Amino acid sequence: MTLHPGAWWLWGLLLAVAASRTTNPLLLGLVIAVAGLVAVACRTEAPWADAYGVFLKLGLLIIALRVVFHVLLGGITGETVLFTLPEIPLPSWAKGIRLGGPVSAEGLLFALYQGLQLATLLGCIGAVNALANPKRALRSMPAALYEVSVAVVVALTTAPQLVASAKAVRKARRLRGDGARGWRALRTLLVPVLEDALDRSLALAAAMDSRGYGRTASVPAGTRRLTSALVLAGLIGLCVGIYGLLDGQASPYVTFGLLLAGAGLAIAGLRLGAKRVPRTRYRPDPWRWQESVVAGSGAIAAAATVFVSASGGSGLVMSVVPIEVPTLPLIPALGVLVALAPIAVRTR
Amino acid sequence: MISVRPKTTVLLILCGLIGIAAFGWPLLVTPDSKIAHGGDAPWTFALLLPLVLAVVLAELSEGGMDSKAVAMLGVLSAIGAAVRPLGAGTAGIETVFFLMVLGGRVFGPGFGFVLGNTTLFASALLTGGVGPWLPYQMLGAAWVALGAGLLPDLKGRAELVMLALYGVVSSLMYGFLLNLSFWPYAVGTGTTVSFVPGDPVWDNLIRLAAFSLATSLGWDLGRAITTAVLVLLTGPVFLRALRRAARKAAFISP
Repeated sequence: MTLHPGAWWLWGLLLAVAASRTTNPLLLGLVIAVAGLVAVACRTEAPWADAYGVFLKLGLLIIALRVVFHVLLGGITGETVLFTLPEIPLPSWAKGIRLGGPVSAEGLLFALYQGLQLATLLGCIGAVNALANPKRALRSMPAALYEVSVAVVVALTTAPQLVASAKAVRKARRLRGDGARGWRALRTLLVPVLEDALDRSLALAAAMDSRGYGRTASVPAGTRRLTSALVLAGLIGLCVGIYGLLDGQASPYVTFGLLLAGAGLAIAGLRLGAKRVPRTRYRPDPWRWQESVVAGSGAIAAAATVFVSASGGSGLVMSVVPIEVPTLPLIPALGVLVALAPIAVRTR
Repeated sequence: MISVRPKTTVLLILCGLIGIAAFGWPLLVTPDSKIAHGGDAPWTFALLLPLVLAVVLAELSEGGMDSKAVAMLGVLSAIGAAVRPLGAGTAGIETVFFLMVLGGRVFGPGFGFVLGNTTLFASALLTGGVGPWLPYQMLGAAWVALGAGLLPDLKGRAELVMLALYGVVSSLMYGFLLNLSFWPYAVGTGTTVSFVPGDPVWDNLIRLAAFSLATSLGWDLGRAITTAVLVLLTGPVFLRALRRAARKAAFISP
C-alpha cells in the first residue's frame, strides 16, 4: 500500500514554496538532493516512476536556456567583464535588444541562480510525478467533476486498447496477404482502428446507460440557484481580484482578500454542486498518520524558509552586484532536511 | 452533445477573462503591482487556473453530460493521448490538434471545451507530465476546440479548407499564448528580451517577438503546418466517422 497522492502533492508543492523563497545555490542544491533522494527511495515499479529524471533534464535545459540568453542578448551589466562578443547593431525599433557585447560574471551568475531556482521547482514537481499515483489522484477529484473524471478514466483505459486494436487489424491484413508498409499501411490502419474505437465507445455508453449510470439526484431549485450564484460570484470575485493584482493601486490586503473570497465562493459552489451526484465510495482512500507526516514535513520545510525570508534573514537571496559568496543558512537548511521524513515512514 | 446554456456562456466568458490575464499578465501588469517584480505571478495563476477550469467543467457537466458524451470524450481523449507522443520531441510535429479541431467541429463548442481539457490532462497523466504548464495547455487547447465548434456551417470541400485554415490560425494563436505564459519562466528578468512591467505593450511585444524568434518559431510553424496537413488528409474520413457515431449515439430521438 503506497501513500495517498494528495500527501505527495502537498509535500512537493510545499517543498517548491521553500525553493521559491531563495536563490542560494547551496540551499537549492539541498532541495534538489532531498527531492531526488525521496523520489528514488520511495518510488515503486510504476511506469511513471522515472519522471524525476525527465524533469531534472528539463531543469538543466532551462538553466542552459537562461545562460545562453544572457550571453547572447546581454542583461545585467557588471564590472567583472569575462569576455566580449562581437556586437551586431540592430535597428532602432528593436527597443533596447542587444546582440553580442560584453559578458559579465555578475550577469552570468544572475542567470545561473534564476535558472537553478526554476530547475529546483521543476525537480520538486518531478519527484511528485514519480511518486504520486495518477489513477488514485483521479479518484480524489471533486465529486462535481464526476463525469469529467470518468471520461479521463475511460481515456486512460482505452489508450492501451487502441494499440491492441491496431495490432489486431494489422494481423488480419497480413493474413489476407496485404503486406503494405509505411504511409499506405497507416492509411489502411486508420479507418478500422477509428471505427473500432468509436463502436467501442457506443457499446460502453449503452452499457453505462443500462446500468443506471448518470442518474442524478433531484436537487431542489433553491439549491441549484444558490450553486449558480456562488459559482458566478466566485468567478467575478477572482476577476476583480486579478485586476487589482495587475493594477497594483489597491492595497494588497484588499486584493488578496478578494482573491481568497472568490476562490472560497467557487469552492463552496463546487461542493454544493456535488449534491447532484449521489454516490458512495467503494474502498475509500485512507489518510493515515504516514500521510500526515509526509505533508507535515513539507510544511515544516516551507515554514522554516518562509519565516526566515519574511523576518529578513540573510543568506536566502544572493546579491550579484557585488558578487557574494553563498553560505548555507542554518534554519532553512534544517527545515529542508526535515522533508526527508517520507523515507522514514515509507511503507513497502 | 453538451449543451451550452446562457449561464454556461457567462462562466465561459469569465473564465476567458481570467485566462487572458493568466496568459497575458506580462503585457498587462503595471509597475506599481506587487507581483510585477517577484517570480510569484506565474505560480499564482498556475494555482488559480485549475480552480477556474474545475468550476467551468462542473457547470458544463451539470448542464447534461450523458453517458454517450462521457464515452465519446473518453475515446477521443484516448486517441489524442495515444498519438501525442508520436510528435513530441520531433521539431514542431504536433499530432493532437487536428483531432481537437475535428472533434469540436462535429460535437459542438461545449464538447470541444471539455475535450481540450480531458485530452491534455489524460496525456499528462499517461506520460507523467503534470506541471505548472498543464493548466495553461489545457485552457489553450480547450479554446482551440471550442472555437472549432463555433465556425460557420459549410459543407464539403469548403468545410475542409475552412477547418485547415482554422487549424493554422488557432495553432499559431496557441503557440503565441503558450510563449507568453512561458516567457517569464524561461528568461526571467534582467535580459534584454525579458518583459519590463509597465512598459508600453508594443515595446514588450517586440521583446516577446524576439524571444519567440529565438526559441520556438520553428515549433509554432511546424504545429500549424502539421495541423493543417492532418486536417486535410484525415478530415474526410474522421468527419464521416464522427458524424456517423454522433447519429448512432442518438439512442432516444432519431
